[in-house]
Amino acid sequence: MVNLMHRALQLAGEALAAKEVPVGCVFTIDGEIIAESRNTVNATRNPTRHAEINCIDYVYDYCKANNIDYQIYFSNITVYVTVEPCIMCATALSNLNIREVIYGCANDRFGGKTVVDVSNYYIQSYSLTGNILANEAMALLKQFYKGVNPNAPELKVKKDKKV
Amino acid sequence: MSSEPPIKRPKITENEIDKFITGIMTAEKNLQAILSDEYDKPIPFVKVFVGTARDPKELSKIIQVLNDKIPLKELSHLKRVRKKEVLLCQSQHLNVLTQETIQEYIEHNSPELKDSFQYFREIDVPLTPPKLRRQYLECNSKMWSVNFHPDKQLERLFSDSFFPEYDLKLHRTFMSLVFETAYWYLSKHTKVELQDLFVGINIAVVVDPPRRSIVAIGLDNRQGHPLQHAAMLAIDNVAKTQNGGAWDADGAKNILSGINLDLMMHLKERYRQVMFGAKQYLEKNEIREGSKSDSPYLCTGYDVYLLREPCLMCAMGLVHARAKRVFFAVDNEFMGALKSKTKLQCVESLNHHFDVFTGFL
Repeated sequence: MVNLMHRALQLAGEALAAKEVPVGCVFTIDGEIIAESRNTVNATRNPTRHAEINCIDYVYDYCKANNIDYQIYFSNITVYVTVEPCIMCATALSNLNIREVIYGCANDRFGGKTVVDVSNYYIQSYSLTGNILANEAMALLKQFYKGVNPNAPELKVKKDKKV
Repeated sequence: MSSEPPIKRPKITENEIDKFITGIMTAEKNLQAILSDEYDKPIPFVKVFVGTARDPKELSKIIQVLNDKIPLKELSHLKRVRKKEVLLCQSQHLNVLTQETIQEYIEHNSPELKDSFQYFREIDVPLTPPKLRRQYLECNSKMWSVNFHPDKQLERLFSDSFFPEYDLKLHRTFMSLVFETAYWYLSKHTKVELQDLFVGINIAVVVDPPRRSIVAIGLDNRQGHPLQHAAMLAIDNVAKTQNGGAWDADGAKNILSGINLDLMMHLKERYRQVMFGAKQYLEKNEIREGSKSDSPYLCTGYDVYLLREPCLMCAMGLVHARAKRVFFAVDNEFMGALKSKTKLQCVESLNHHFDVFTGFL
């Protein structure tokens, strides 16, 4: 379990190096990695391209190419992700009947449990465990937020605003 | 027992669809903002003690002492005085164990006022400040005087004339275009009847309001891909106008790459006044310092028109995308995350909030 989270952390590190929000994720079946990814929001200019969404796409394409019933396939997957899935990803994982989600640190800004508990609104299939190598995951985030997001436009400061 | 004949759904002609779509465009009913439940709930009350001043001339002195010795703190939205009565403290501040009376409480906390009050009574007052004029009037007349600072934008959202006629026409035009798109899309796939427009699929149209231009359209593909709901596709199509995109992103990237070309030709014929295309995207190094031309960023400043209320995945996607406003026509009773199941736009801790409007039908 710790090994799989270490791999997810490596991917988060790659995201940081690419100036993306450092979140990494591996999808596993019986302890074997079947998909892995990281945030690609800035590269794609698409704010929904979180690590989990990229993995879901990859697994779905794999199922389609190999004539596998994706609904059964997803229901056997355990997700390791360095940060608690956001509300969007939590809903997507829930809709896909994922078996289990294990995360590093909690997500106080967007968490699909911490900020809005998705399971209050939709039937949630997966069990959720947190706090696995949380400090490592948090350290990466802190490093990122020390800098500024290079892709966000500069804040417009209103000058000469009359009071 | 004879079996019932199968229900015959009347065949809908193209003419009737046109009438329906024109209806959405031209109706005069204003739109309805979807706001937090807190405005509908009654304001909670709390019990307080008030005392009648023995000598009304002493009132200003009494208040000075009280504000110093027994400040109101969390009840600062309430006026301290009403006529000859002075608000003293919350009833729960009295010591229950010693069965402390309000007179004893005053003597204990502010001895100089021990003879200032003729008599006391306990009343209910609003625990939280009123947010709307309606709530304010309710509080003020019944119970106690309340401070109130009206939020003009909020008051307007609650009135049924939020959008001036010109804006309303524009929003209704874009929503009718959503239905026109749904009709076009369904007619490519199945034999369409009017009822089909309301179930199964969603359509998302992203508009750049100042230019009144359609930036991107999402045509639902959830049957083909579990993530490809209309709003998620629309967000990706916006990305394609900004040199990005993740789904089938191999094509050309330009200001028109957010819209299916066949569909655009179809819509151009019917909506001659509507523009198509995003504002030119500029890479960081292309933006000259101090220049006024700014490049689009995600869905910042964009309005999103949806046929149906989005699910929580799509709604959060639109938060991530920083959409400016979200309009939808049909409630989504089982999955809807902006009205039906929850109201994501009212979660204060999120880093972005958009206004949500419905009421097109």
